[in-house]
Amino acid sequence: MKNWNKNHILKAAWLPLVGKWVFLGIMIIFTLYPVIYTVLGSLKTNAELTQGGGFFPETWHFENYYRAFVQADFTRYTLNSILVSVSVTLLAVVTCSLAGFILARREFAGKKVLLALYLSMMFVSLGSVTLYPIYELLRALKLNKSIFALIVALTGGQATNVFLVMGFTKGIPKELDEAAIIDGCSLYGVYSRVVLPLSKPILAVVALFSFRNAWNDYITSMIMTISMPKLQTLTVAVVQLKYSVNAAAEWHIMLAGASIAIIPILIVYLFANKQFIAGLTAGAVKG
Amino acid sequence: MKDWNSKSALPRSKSMKKNLQAYSFMLPNLILFTVCSLYPVMWTLKYVFFQYGGYGTGVPRFVGLANFARVFRDKVYWESVIHTFTYGFGKVIFIIPLAFFLAFLLNQQKRGNGAAQSIVFLPTIMSSAVMGLVFYLLFNAYNGEVNQYLMAAGLIQRPINWLGKEHAMKTLILTAVWGGVGNYMVYFIAGIQQVSGEAIESARIDGAGRLQTIWYIIIPMLGPILKIILMLAITSAFNDITNVMVLTEGGPTNATMVMSLYGYRYFFPISAAEATVPQYGYGAAVSVISAAIAGLVTVGYLRISKKLDEIY
Repeated sequence: MKNWNKNHILKAAWLPLVGKWVFLGIMIIFTLYPVIYTVLGSLKTNAELTQGGGFFPETWHFENYYRAFVQADFTRYTLNSILVSVSVTLLAVVTCSLAGFILARREFAGKKVLLALYLSMMFVSLGSVTLYPIYELLRALKLNKSIFALIVALTGGQATNVFLVMGFTKGIPKELDEAAIIDGCSLYGVYSRVVLPLSKPILAVVALFSFRNAWNDYITSMIMTISMPKLQTLTVAVVQLKYSVNAAAEWHIMLAGASIAIIPILIVYLFANKQFIAGLTAGAVKG
Repeated sequence: MKDWNSKSALPRSKSMKKNLQAYSFMLPNLILFTVCSLYPVMWTLKYVFFQYGGYGTGVPRFVGLANFARVFRDKVYWESVIHTFTYGFGKVIFIIPLAFFLAFLLNQQKRGNGAAQSIVFLPTIMSSAVMGLVFYLLFNAYNGEVNQYLMAAGLIQRPINWLGKEHAMKTLILTAVWGGVGNYMVYFIAGIQQVSGEAIESARIDGAGRLQTIWYIIIPMLGPILKIILMLAITSAFNDITNVMVLTEGGPTNATMVMSLYGYRYFFPISAAEATVPQYGYGAAVSVISAAIAGLVTVGYLRISKKLDEIY
């Protein structure tokens, strides 16, 4: 029992169990309070929110959601968010899977240069200012009036994910490829029949994090829809409420919008929290 | 070993075909990479030497190093650099011990631990923009719930202006800790689980007590991973922009202006309420200097941590 001693020590038995859970209780309240405030607040009246009321709404105002969805046009933004996030996820998974596979398995002209470029782009971080040249380029290509521009910009260069997939593919035994080639598979066959099915775990990580990033993104989505407000995503629309003329009188609508933006990802998290946590270490510590 | 994919062993036309085949796999990602990573960085590096007001404002004018000279004279910029360090330091100094402590308490597979982990990790999957807006409401001076509760509890007499000049940075750091601690907790848990059980066992056999084992075995063995975690924490603090943009907009009067946001404001308005005249060349120079500062800090950090390795 190699682990017994280790666990025994890490058990923190010197810290009374009560103390542990008091501390954790405070942390849990600290963590959950803003989320609960958002969801409960979305069902209150503006006066209850701004002038002080109970923890729970006096009456549950579900019509706040009706107002957000219908009057503030959140139905459209929700559909935009779904379309954008799903497209970004698919695009990221497909392109990273293909590139990661070939970089792990083949030598080809220019590969060293490409690897150096990808690596350097992971470390050069100029921040959101690079959105301007992307926007101008897509405008020159006449793509800026469609949601396609946002999807491309949000997917981004994917250098980190390419390395992630490449590293994972290197761990898949090459003998499997060779056996498939002897059996008459082409390179495309090796990819689609051998490597792709075996790289599902890492592609799930790429998908999960791409979806989360796309769903939560604010700056890229705001800039890419700057001239097309109808293409805005949920996060952009919610934050814009802060600057609306009636902002002071519409906290409940803001919170209803915020809830609409966070509840889908909360549901995803409810089912996939283990994968999120495991994926974080797969991506960051090993990579 | 039979090297079945070496191109040198093949005739030229076959190697050509191999290359084309390889690029058919690379191409989709290569297009994205070129459009979204390579091109914008090249663009920025070019325009640091130009004065340019954007699409429809005439031809960019070459100004040599004038933009850099202006950055070095720009007082507000250097204040924003100091704010970035204050923010990064404040965030790291709270997040790392808190995350380590949480990892220490929750690293075992025991009832309740998994659920507690999932809850503490929750903020990291939520939009920092949307939660920035929620915090903006919570910490609002006159109508915010934080002041309502504090006054009801009799802890304060008058509302505190959490987003005013005096407290805005603290509030910002608090919300950043809220959003980030779960991440680092998970890194620490991964680290603790990698500590070898054998080292601990032999320490026990040699008569080390529980606290001694933690202090002399577990914490030193966490060293390498702690280095990575600290580096991630520092570099990510330099990149934080969305939460600042939504919660404080860099204000009031630049009190929370960080360098990422300062470069951004020369490209796009920070808020819908603000009108800016874009100065792309200058903004590009600001961003390049900021990236250089972040790079220097990272290199400096790596140097120091290497020196520390030699001492121990």
